[in-house]
Amino acid sequence: MTTASLKQTTDTQAENGYNFAYLDEQTKRMIRRCLLKAVAVPGYQVPFGGREMPLPYGWGTGGMQVTATVIGENDVLKVIDQGADDTTNAVSIRRFFARTAGVATTESTPEASVIQTRHRIPETPLTRGQILVYQVPIPEPLRFIEPRETETRKMHALQEYGVMHVKLYEDIARFGHIATTYAYPVKVNGHYVMDPSPIPKFDNPKMHGSPALQLFGAGREKRIYAIPPFTRVESLDFEDHPFEIQGWDQTCEFCGSDHSFLDEVVTDDEGGRIFICSDTDYCNQRLNTGASMEVV
Amino acid sequence: MTTNKESRPSVTPPLSLAGLCAGFDDPVQQSQQVFRRALTALSEPGTLQTVPVSDTPTGINTASYQLCLALLDAETPLWIAPPLRTDALVSALRFHCGCRIVDTPGLAEFALTLPDFDGDLTRFAQGSHEYPDRSTTLIVQVESLESAGDWTLSGPGIEGVRKVRIAGLDPRWPGMLADNRRRFPCGVDLLFTAGTGLMGLPRTTRVEV
Repeated sequence: MTTASLKQTTDTQAENGYNFAYLDEQTKRMIRRCLLKAVAVPGYQVPFGGREMPLPYGWGTGGMQVTATVIGENDVLKVIDQGADDTTNAVSIRRFFARTAGVATTESTPEASVIQTRHRIPETPLTRGQILVYQVPIPEPLRFIEPRETETRKMHALQEYGVMHVKLYEDIARFGHIATTYAYPVKVNGHYVMDPSPIPKFDNPKMHGSPALQLFGAGREKRIYAIPPFTRVESLDFEDHPFEIQGWDQTCEFCGSDHSFLDEVVTDDEGGRIFICSDTDYCNQRLNTGASMEVV
Repeated sequence: MTTNKESRPSVTPPLSLAGLCAGFDDPVQQSQQVFRRALTALSEPGTLQTVPVSDTPTGINTASYQLCLALLDAETPLWIAPPLRTDALVSALRFHCGCRIVDTPGLAEFALTLPDFDGDLTRFAQGSHEYPDRSTTLIVQVESLESAGDWTLSGPGIEGVRKVRIAGLDPRWPGMLADNRRRFPCGVDLLFTAGTGLMGLPRTTRVEV
């Protein structure tokens, strides 16, 4: 190996030797055709020929294949992992596309045209023209109830979703309320029940009528699904146990936000803990604009 | 082993490179750009998208041709309505995309047609209730597309309602589109083209005339 090939590249230097955004054109066309069918049948899981990506399943291979397929040279990419721009998964994927596609990257939600996310929807409202790409571990919401693919397909075809309500009812019977807090099932456009990926149910209402296009990619399970903009997305519930999101008595330690999704952080071994915004960009925006001063 | 070319049945016109219409200058970027317009067209039905001007075989809209270049390959059987099925187009698509041209609309993943084809939309693959994605995507060439007009669209991808005018459709179209929507989750998805203009109508869109 020559010294030249060992030379380190920085985030902003595009790698040579790969096709634009890593995937070959044949694969991109196949995924693109699946994406067009996915937006035409909102919430339906389209099977696709998932490729092996240079990182393990569970690290966002499905989301990356969708991102690689939709992204163009003029796009600005943001990647978040549990709301944060600066965790390993987010940094690695952002750097992957900076290198293989040479696209601009950002941590700012309003500046991004494509946002790949693991398990959160940004707090800053999304706008028209933005694309939100979700990394999905298990796309089939009925899988834990019915392991057979042939059966779950029939259940979706017949809208046989009673078992899903039974599952939520079992929560009520056991805990007195619906205890499902993440990957909370939704019904898209009044037909397909869909797994919104393991986002907290706090984020479910943001999916309804969102002006942004939402695309979901599951790499191991090889499924793609989508919610077009301005589409009806209802979280399943009961008349006497309506869907509700979680809330906190605390506010963000940094920006003082009383309306964003908070992470609990243990600060010492004597029971000390603080609550901070899970969405780092949102928290920073508030700090930069002095929003925390208004609250205090 | 020798092959006897003369004995092969000639089912498709011979591939002629003379006067072959050019494909994309930059296939990677231009395919992505055309795909994104198609994605926006189908996810925000009734919005008018435009593709850049480019060389196009005669009789074919630039938007139709670029959609084919961006989305078709050896995995996608294409049906072309007889009036559009010229040697120039077939040669260009076989050369640039390598797609199979099929004679039966029901076997086609994509169909390139004029609005006045025989029969109705059920001629094309509808998908099944288990696999609604296995349906034909139609590229329909019309006279003009306007993002204002007498048709009222509603459904996923539309905030409230959206008005459009698609010129050149015969009177059976509103009924065919209503039937197509009623078959949900089965049904075909439509990409209308006029010149460089492109408008999408997926099976979920309600059309009121």
